[in-house]
Amino acid sequence: MSEKEPSICEEKNYNQLFRKYYEPVTKYIYYKCGNLEQAEDIVQNVFMKLWRLCATISFSKAKSYIYKASNNSFLNEITHQKVVLKHQKTIQENVDNESPDFLIEVDEFRVKLKESINALGVKEREVFLLSRIENKTYKEIAEITGLTVKAIERRMSIALKELRDSLGKEIKL
Amino acid sequence: MMKNYETDETFLGRWIAGELSEEERITFEKTEAYKEFSIINKESQLLEGPDIDTETALKIVKERLNTKKPKVIKLWQSIAIASIIIISAGVFLNSSKTYTTEIGKTQTIILPDGSAVDLNANSSLSHKRFFWNNSREVSLNGEGYFTVTKGDDFKVNTSKGIVSVLGTRFNIKDRSIFNLKCYEGKVSFKSNDVTADDIILSKGMEISLTDIEVNKNTFIEENPNWKNGSSYFTGQPLRMVLEELMNYYPITFETSLINTDRLFTGSFIHTDLNTALKTTLVPMGITYKKDKTGKKIMLSK
Repeated sequence: MSEKEPSICEEKNYNQLFRKYYEPVTKYIYYKCGNLEQAEDIVQNVFMKLWRLCATISFSKAKSYIYKASNNSFLNEITHQKVVLKHQKTIQENVDNESPDFLIEVDEFRVKLKESINALGVKEREVFLLSRIENKTYKEIAEITGLTVKAIERRMSIALKELRDSLGKEIKL
Repeated sequence: MMKNYETDETFLGRWIAGELSEEERITFEKTEAYKEFSIINKESQLLEGPDIDTETALKIVKERLNTKKPKVIKLWQSIAIASIIIISAGVFLNSSKTYTTEIGKTQTIILPDGSAVDLNANSSLSHKRFFWNNSREVSLNGEGYFTVTKGDDFKVNTSKGIVSVLGTRFNIKDRSIFNLKCYEGKVSFKSNDVTADDIILSKGMEISLTDIEVNKNTFIEENPNWKNGSSYFTGQPLRMVLEELMNYYPITFETSLINTDRLFTGSFIHTDLNTALKTTLVPMGITYKKDKTGKKIMLSK
């Protein structure tokens, strides 16, 4: 019988889910496929399905449904695996008072950093971006991706090592 | 031997999460590699993902869904629904129908007696669903232009009072100010304030209510200006103008740098935001800038 959970069939509840999860899920899929249009398309289709199935999915399961369904339809479309990422945080300039002991050509370094992140394996890139850009904890990433925390730690380690391998020489200490 | 980033495949991952042991961390921080890793880490955190416009996406999804609702009803639900229907039948007969216009949209509503209401943007009108002809009564929120067919008393409930008429044309604006204009025939206004007398308006008369006073005035136009797609102001505070703009365009204003009590005389159109902003703000010597979403307008001197 019905619990006291809000029904997704009610528009305001549906809107609430949409506003909460559309952006993070879209970014997640984007980090996998590197194509924003495709990512938005996938996630929008999932949300349309969510509406059609609103009577059969409970509110508390919605998040995991949205992530899983998006991930599945991404896997069904595996065509793209292109590049990611463009924006630098605008205003926050690189004033780094703590360690003035190194000299980097910052701009050049940043371009290379983005390239190197793009060059990571898809699995590492996804975990790395969710952690470093979206500030998600390993536990949250585990929930989203279905990986274990240990596997995430491993992927993070690989990502960092690869980044250092390709960027180490850019950093002049 | 103690683990380090080369021998332990989770080491760097744990470092990022702050989960190295004290000993591991101190040893690691002494290495040359540590400095490189922490620069890479810091710089990565300065990056950003793509901008995502959730509201637009929501609109797209709704359009694609074509507002159709799924109907998956299980047995227990149908029993529940049946009982709800029985219980609520009485309530339903007494229920109301509500029309709502979005920002920038208008709608013409024909009532069961043939009276018409042109509902201006960002407004709503409701009336009883059944037996309405027995007592012609509607409630208005926002602004509407009424063309009432002759007949028994026709009443409009507003937040400030009741407007009642026999057969006539009039416009009610019930927003932060209340304004009633009579274009034909006669209307009477009974204020919520019980100490106030009823006010009778005939063609060409208008009243405006603020929290403190009632202003009576006359006007000459034959139809409300908003029906022609423009808003006109004569010596009204800028904040009214901004409020009115927000009824036609999905925007908000940042006004902390300007004085919104200054008076404005002029007009703006409802169909082009940039023109509307230019015609209202430039003459007031106000410069404006959209933020990156395009939804918020920053105003300054």
